[in-house]
Amino acid sequence: MTDLTGVSQLLNKVSDDPVLRTALDRAISSYWKKRKQVMERYPYVKELADEVRRIKEWSIDHMDKLLDKAIEAVEAKGGKAYVAETAEEARKIVGELVGTGKVVTKAKSMTTEELKLREFLIERGNEVYETDLGEFLVQFLGPKPMHFISPSIHLTREKVAEFLKDFMGVEVDKDDVEGMVALVRKFLRDKYFSADVGISGANAFAADRGAVFLIENESNIRLSISLPPKHIAVVGMEKIVPTMSDAWKVVEVISRYGGYKVTSYINTVMGPARRGDGDIGPEEYHVIFLDNGRREASKDPILKQTLYCLRCGACQYLCPVFGIVGGYWAGLESAYSGGIGVMWEYITGDKETSTQHAFACLLCGRCIEACPVRINQPEVLREIRRRLMERI
Amino acid sequence: MDLKAVKLLLEKNAKKTWNPLGVKEEYCSMWAEGMNFPERGEVLLYTGCLYQMIPYIDMFARLLKGFESMNPALFGIAMKINALADSLGLDTISLLASLEISKKDKERYFRIVRSIANALLSAGVKFAYMREEPYSGVLYHDLGMDDLFREHVMRLAKKIKETGARKVITIDPHTTYMLNYLIKEFVDDFEVEVVHYMDVLLERGYTPKVRGPKEVVIHDPCYLARWNGVIDQPRVLLSRAGVKVREPEFTRKFTGCCGGPIESLFPSLSSKLARKRMKELKETGSPCFTVMCPICLTNFQREARELGVRVFDIMEVIE
Ligand code: SF4
Repeated sequence: MTDLTGVSQLLNKVSDDPVLRTALDRAISSYWKKRKQVMERYPYVKELADEVRRIKEWSIDHMDKLLDKAIEAVEAKGGKAYVAETAEEARKIVGELVGTGKVVTKAKSMTTEELKLREFLIERGNEVYETDLGEFLVQFLGPKPMHFISPSIHLTREKVAEFLKDFMGVEVDKDDVEGMVALVRKFLRDKYFSADVGISGANAFAADRGAVFLIENESNIRLSISLPPKHIAVVGMEKIVPTMSDAWKVVEVISRYGGYKVTSYINTVMGPARRGDGDIGPEEYHVIFLDNGRREASKDPILKQTLYCLRCGACQYLCPVFGIVGGYWAGLESAYSGGIGVMWEYITGDKETSTQHAFACLLCGRCIEACPVRINQPEVLREIRRRLMERI
Repeated sequence: MDLKAVKLLLEKNAKKTWNPLGVKEEYCSMWAEGMNFPERGEVLLYTGCLYQMIPYIDMFARLLKGFESMNPALFGIAMKINALADSLGLDTISLLASLEISKKDKERYFRIVRSIANALLSAGVKFAYMREEPYSGVLYHDLGMDDLFREHVMRLAKKIKETGARKVITIDPHTTYMLNYLIKEFVDDFEVEVVHYMDVLLERGYTPKVRGPKEVVIHDPCYLARWNGVIDQPRVLLSRAGVKVREPEFTRKFTGCCGGPIESLFPSLSSKLARKRMKELKETGSPCFTVMCPICLTNFQREARELGVRVFDIMEVIE
C-alpha cells in the first residue's frame, strides 16, 4: 500500500513510449489551438461556466431531493427508473434488462466504463458494440479509454489505420481520417438495425422533465439509442440538475471547454415513444441512477467538488503529467484518467490504488485554470495523501 | 519509493534539525554573514531557506534517481533500514555532510539571496533577519503530513513573532504561498502581513540594473503565477532594467510546471517533465531562461547542459 514502486515504474515506462508521446503531443496542441479560438469566439462561456458552477453546487447539495424528482419525472412519462447503490447492483439491473444472446449498441459513456458494463454484457453472451469511433478503437485495441472525450487519445492515426486494415480487410490510407471514420460507420450501420438494446450514459440529466442530454459529433448516439426498441441510460447521480435550461447550460459548457466550436448534435431523450403520436424511437426507456460512492462523497467537504466535474476533459489536456503519461495516470484498472481520474477512482472504485496515484500530482494548479467549474484538484489530491500519511 | 520510509525519514530529520534534508538553521543564515542585519524589527526578511538548500536538494535528487533504478525490493529494504535504524550509511544528515558540496555551488545560491537583500536595501527598505533561520515546512504539507507541518509552523510562527515583525518579506513562491494562506489554517493568531519582494521593489519604484543576459525567455513558476498571482511584477522589473522578454506558448496563468514538486517521489518523471517544459521555452528562440523560484531553478539547471541552455534566477539577470 505504501510502496509507490509499481506506480513509478508504470508511469516511467509509458512516458518513454514514443507512440504515446506523439499521440499526446498532437492531441494537446490541437486542443490548445481550438480552445483559444473557442474562447475568442464565445467570450460569454466563461460567465456561463461560472453559472454552471453554481448550478452544480446547488445540485450536489440537494442530490437526494433532485433524485426523487428525477425518478418521478421519468415514471410520469412512462419510463422506468432505478436506483443502484453499487456497481454490482447496476450491472445486475442492466443484465436483467438486456438478457443474453442480444445485440447491444453503446454510446460512449464513462459511467458505463466505471461499471465495466461492456465486458459484463459480453461475458453474459451478448454482442456489444461501442459506436463512438474512439471508444470503438478502445474496445478492440485497448487498454482503456484514455481521456474523457477523446478515449483513443493514445493512438496515432498510423496505428488506427494499421488496425482497420486488419479488422476490415481493406486498404486504409493513414492520412485519410474521414475515410477511416466512414469505414467504421459503415461497419456499425448494420449493427444499429439489428440491435435489441441501446445503452447510453448522460452528459446531464434534467430533473424537471426526466430528460437525458447527450452530446455527440458523429451522429452515432442518435442511431444507437433510437433504432433499438429498448434504451437504457446509466446516469451518475451527480449529473442531475434541476431544469432543462440548467442542463442546456451544462452541455454548452462541456462542449466549449472540450474544444468544440460547433458541436454537431445534442440529443435529449424524455421518455419512450408514444404509440399513435407518430413518435419514432424505442418503446422502452429505462434510467438507472448510479450512486457507487457519490452520495457519500457529496457529504465530504473536500471530496465533494469532484462531483461538480462535467467530464469535459480540459484539465486532462492541460495537465503536464497527463501530457507525458496520458491515461496511465490513475492506473490501467481504472476507467478514469489523470488527476481528476484519480479523484473519481477514489470515490467510485479502488481507494488504495488511487491513493498511490495521488502522489504523482505536481500540485501545479494548471487544471484549475483549465476547468470550467474551477475544481481544485491539488486540494483534493493532497487530502487523499493526507488520509494515508496520517494512518501509516 | 516507500511512503512509510519517506515519512519516517522526514520525521527523523525534522526532529534533529527542523529541516527535511537535515540542513542546519545556521547554514540557512550564512549568506548574511557580515551584513549586520538587526534581529528584531517591524519588517522581517524571511527566506524560508529554499534557495540556500538547493545544493542539498540537488544532491538528494541525484541520489534518489540512482536508487529509483535499483532493484525495487532492494531499494525498499534500504529505505526502510535507513529510516528505521540510521544504518547502511544512508542517514541523510551524515550522508549529506560527508558529500562535499562545492563552495562554488553554495556561493551561487547565497549570492541570489544576497542580491535580493541588496536590492531591497537599495530601494530603501529596512528589515530584520533571523540568525538561525527556519525552513518553511511546505514539503510536509505537500506530502499530506499535516501533523508534522503543524508542529513546524507553530514553531515558525512563534519565531517570527519574537522578532516583533508586523510585515514579512518573502523571496520564493512556495514560502510566500505558505505564509499567505496555509499557515492560517494551522496557527490561530498569525496576523502578519506577507509580501513578495518583487511587490516591495515595485512599490518603492525600484529600477534594477542588468547584470546577466539582455534577452531572456520568462518561465512563470506555478506557485508564483497561479497561487500567488505574481505575474506582471517580474516583467515590469525586467523591462525597467531594459531586458527583452520572450513569452513561451504556455505562459502566465497557463504556465507549465518544471516538474520539481514530484522530484522526491518520482525523480525520473520529474526530470522528463523538466525537459518537456524546457523545450517549450527553447522554442521561443532564446537559450537563456529566467525563473523566479529555487525549485524551478534547480530542476531546470540539472538538465540545462544537455539541452544547451542557460538557466538564471531573475536576480541573476537583474540586480
Ligand atoms: S475537472 Fe473540470 S476540466 Fe477536468 S474534466 Fe472535470 S469539469 Fe472538465
